[in-house]
Amino acid sequence: MDRLKSTFVNKLLVSADDISLGRKHKPDYWLIIICGALLLIGVIMIYSMGPALKITTGLSGSFYTSRQILAIVLSAVAFMITSYIPIPLWKRYYKLIVLAGLVATLLALVIPVNPAYPAHRWVRIGSLSFQSVELVKLSLVIWLAVFLSNAIKKGTIKDFRKTLLPLLIAVPVIGVIIAGAQSDLGSVGVIVGFMAVMSYVAGLPLKKIAIIGGIIAIGLIFAIIAFPYRIARIEAYLHPSSNCQTANDYQACQALVGVGSGGLFGLGLGHSIQAYGYVPEASNDSIFSIYAETFGFLGSIILLILFASLFSRLKNIAEKTSDSFSSLLVIGVLTWLSVQTLINIGAMIGILPLKGITLPFISYGGTSIVFSAAAVGIVFQISRYTSRVVQAEDSSANDSDRRQLNGDRLNGRRVRGAYHPYPGSRI
Amino acid sequence: MIPQNINTKFGVIRRIHLWYGLLMIVIAIFGIRLFYVQVINYSHYKNAALSDQLKQYQIPATRGLIEALDGNQAVPIVLNQKLYTLYADPKYIKKPDQIAQKIVSVIGGNISTYVKYMTIPKLRYVILAKKLTKQQSNKILSFKIPGIGTQGQDYRLYPEGSLASQVLGFVNSNGQGEYGIEQAMNKELAGTPGRVKAVTDANGVPLAASKGNVEVPPVNGDNIVLTLNLGIQAQLENILKKDYKSTKSQGLSAIVMDPYNGHIVAMANYPTYNPANYTNVTNPAIFENAAVTNAIEPGSVMKTLTTPAALNQGVIKPNTTFYDPAHWIVDGFDIHDIKIDGGAREQNIASILSLSLNTGAVWMLMQMGGGRIDKKGIDTWYNYMVNHYNLGKPTGIEQGYESAGYVPPPNMSDPSIDLRYANTVFGQGVQLTALQLAAADSSIINGGTYYKPTLVDEIIQPNGVVKINKPKVLIKNVVSPKVGADMIPLEENVVKAYLHGGFGFMSFPPQYIVGGKTGTAQVAKPTGGYYKNIYNGTYTGFVGGNKPQYVVDVYNIRPGVQGYAGSFAGQPVFADIVHMLINQGYVTPKTN
Repeated sequence: MDRLKSTFVNKLLVSADDISLGRKHKPDYWLIIICGALLLIGVIMIYSMGPALKITTGLSGSFYTSRQILAIVLSAVAFMITSYIPIPLWKRYYKLIVLAGLVATLLALVIPVNPAYPAHRWVRIGSLSFQSVELVKLSLVIWLAVFLSNAIKKGTIKDFRKTLLPLLIAVPVIGVIIAGAQSDLGSVGVIVGFMAVMSYVAGLPLKKIAIIGGIIAIGLIFAIIAFPYRIARIEAYLHPSSNCQTANDYQACQALVGVGSGGLFGLGLGHSIQAYGYVPEASNDSIFSIYAETFGFLGSIILLILFASLFSRLKNIAEKTSDSFSSLLVIGVLTWLSVQTLINIGAMIGILPLKGITLPFISYGGTSIVFSAAAVGIVFQISRYTSRVVQAEDSSANDSDRRQLNGDRLNGRRVRGAYHPYPGSRI
Repeated sequence: MIPQNINTKFGVIRRIHLWYGLLMIVIAIFGIRLFYVQVINYSHYKNAALSDQLKQYQIPATRGLIEALDGNQAVPIVLNQKLYTLYADPKYIKKPDQIAQKIVSVIGGNISTYVKYMTIPKLRYVILAKKLTKQQSNKILSFKIPGIGTQGQDYRLYPEGSLASQVLGFVNSNGQGEYGIEQAMNKELAGTPGRVKAVTDANGVPLAASKGNVEVPPVNGDNIVLTLNLGIQAQLENILKKDYKSTKSQGLSAIVMDPYNGHIVAMANYPTYNPANYTNVTNPAIFENAAVTNAIEPGSVMKTLTTPAALNQGVIKPNTTFYDPAHWIVDGFDIHDIKIDGGAREQNIASILSLSLNTGAVWMLMQMGGGRIDKKGIDTWYNYMVNHYNLGKPTGIEQGYESAGYVPPPNMSDPSIDLRYANTVFGQGVQLTALQLAAADSSIINGGTYYKPTLVDEIIQPNGVVKINKPKVLIKNVVSPKVGADMIPLEENVVKAYLHGGFGFMSFPPQYIVGGKTGTAQVAKPTGGYYKNIYNGTYTGFVGGNKPQYVVDVYNIRPGVQGYAGSFAGQPVFADIVHMLINQGYVTPKTN
């Protein structure tokens, strides 16, 4: 099977792509362990909130728990699919997924799933419905990885017209559609975040990114002024109140109160009070607040460490990939998940304005989990081909050697103690 | 080529590390922030959470019922009824027209009015209608309209309508008793609300799971059985209504009292009101039970108190005679008889009462002193008024806003003290409520025991324990039993004199004893002095068989009749009440 696949991959490589794969080895199972742990925490939280969710939403707790378990099953399927798709395929057919993201967004805008809900975020396919923005995030990460790695390869990474201009056009388009029509400023923050970081890592000069950043900042200010509720959220952030009933932003205030009232050890599983209608969106955007109330400071730190270790694994994979496309892809996923996590938790602990996005793998809701898992699945596939040491940038001349070399060259120096299965065959 | 690529790659690694480092720093900051929020500032946030989550509720106690005697049976005259307030939360109102239509189909009303209230922006609580029945409330709730709800509230229900309204008072929208017995016995009636202290969900529903919940059940209010006889009360009110018109009165009060225990058998005023609609009353004076709140100068009815005082002092006998000069000059004022009966001549105690001789009353004051108006006489009379007849202070009856009345202090340094006190013996310059007069006369008629006048027969506690309100003796030996017995024929004589004087309505069947005294009181101007042509007509008297059974007092405020107000406006009301009591069999006739 493996044999068959690698032949298939080789064919692809030979035919069109210039992706250099390292030698295939064991993937990074830590990804599965960490994400699995996060998903487990999420489903336990949602199960423990059952009675509270029944009171606040009228739907039974088992409804939420079973839906979340279904989402986890779907995310496992998504993970398994993406973790077996060879990386060159993404590069080759990236246009398809970008197109899918575009179509999904258009569908969401044109055919509202629930006419009462004005934010056009949802797409329905058969009995399944999902939030188009999650697909957009995935497709954008892939597109950017393709775009930037091509620019690196062509040496046009610092070319204003060829590299920076398309990005400068893309950002406001995305901003208008997602922040404007879908009123999802949080997701725009995530997307702009990984666009900036990926561009920066790819080698775009910091100065130019800063210019883009300035443009984005101006856009953000307009986006905030255009929607007064965002001003309220910013004001709430600047002027926190100890009485949530009169607070500028009730949700942010109650979220922080939930975190703080957890104390060192928390109230214990199932004993959250804030879940009983005090914190809005307790199972979704505000789940960290309930988690922190339930498990206290110690639990919060454990969760932060779990996320940090996920990011650490992703970082390790990113720096050990054998090509810039893979590297940028991993960096994109890393930034997507980390910025989303930080925006979410930052709002819960009162150091960022509330943005209304989910906490990856923890929050209730299938779309975020499935697409996050799919993204990690791609990284999982990439992790099969990392080198133990940092690789040199691709060069078609070295392609055939790389599998044997395992990249012990760094600035021409030999890395001591590096794994070296075939020392004799070095060039 | 290769070195450049390597550099590029190297740059990638550096930049990845830079980004990763930044990420870790932010996560570390988050960790520090969490420590600050969850550990250092824990108590702040815990308190903030509890200020929202921990709620204390009162569980309202059910207010006690008020009952009164119908024969020997206590029947409720004030009940409770749970009615519902219909409210809307405009935030959740969609399609107000359709909602209003549904509401109209249940409780009627105007669609556009409901729509107007339901669509008031920014308000979260708008009352659409009050006093819905349980059925109406359930019907509306069954529509399950978001933003529409009802709230139960206890209302007083008055099966007898306006009966005894001023004695009862009412319960205001805050659940506080106002006026009457509702005010005076608010504490007993209200009971003690229970309380719940609990961590609740955001809607205020206590969370069963949370520890440390406190729940104290409410103690319901006591039921009160009044001394009122419902039959007499109802007919008394009819009489007052009728006589209010016939005497062109501006306010009529009457009391029927049992002189042997202080029980108020009936007590009413006219005009009156229906406590169920107390909010419609424009003049709050109507809320007052004037029989206990309105102290006036009572006029010559006071002589029923002066005479026994002098008798009890032994300075006169029932058959004492004296020469009446028909006027006295006191402090330069001419005190003369309102009713001139042949001028100066020999008079006796009975004629002082029957002719209502002011000069005779002043003569009695002189007898209580050293044969003239002096300190001894004034002090003695003051002592009787305050310490025997309990005037100048509230009787303590279970009614709101009881008046203390007024007794002038025996201040001998007052240059006009002699005139002041000369006036008091015939009921001017002294203020009494109808109740104070009835209670004082009761204490004489019954042979010298002042019972605290009361409206409460029994208090029934929520646990079923019945506390009988025993007669409470406030003052003993008000006068001697002999004086009390002497006063009965003296007052009977007054009634007979009026009958013979042409007041045919003062004719009563021979198997009953009826006695009394009229009073025509000048009305003081607020600015000092008295009105020329305005009088209050008062009457105090009794009816019984072998002995007086009821003391009956009437205050007729500013009647519009010709002739003396006491005779022509007070006395007929008294006669109507006594006839009613006799005719309806409420009075036990003489046994032979």
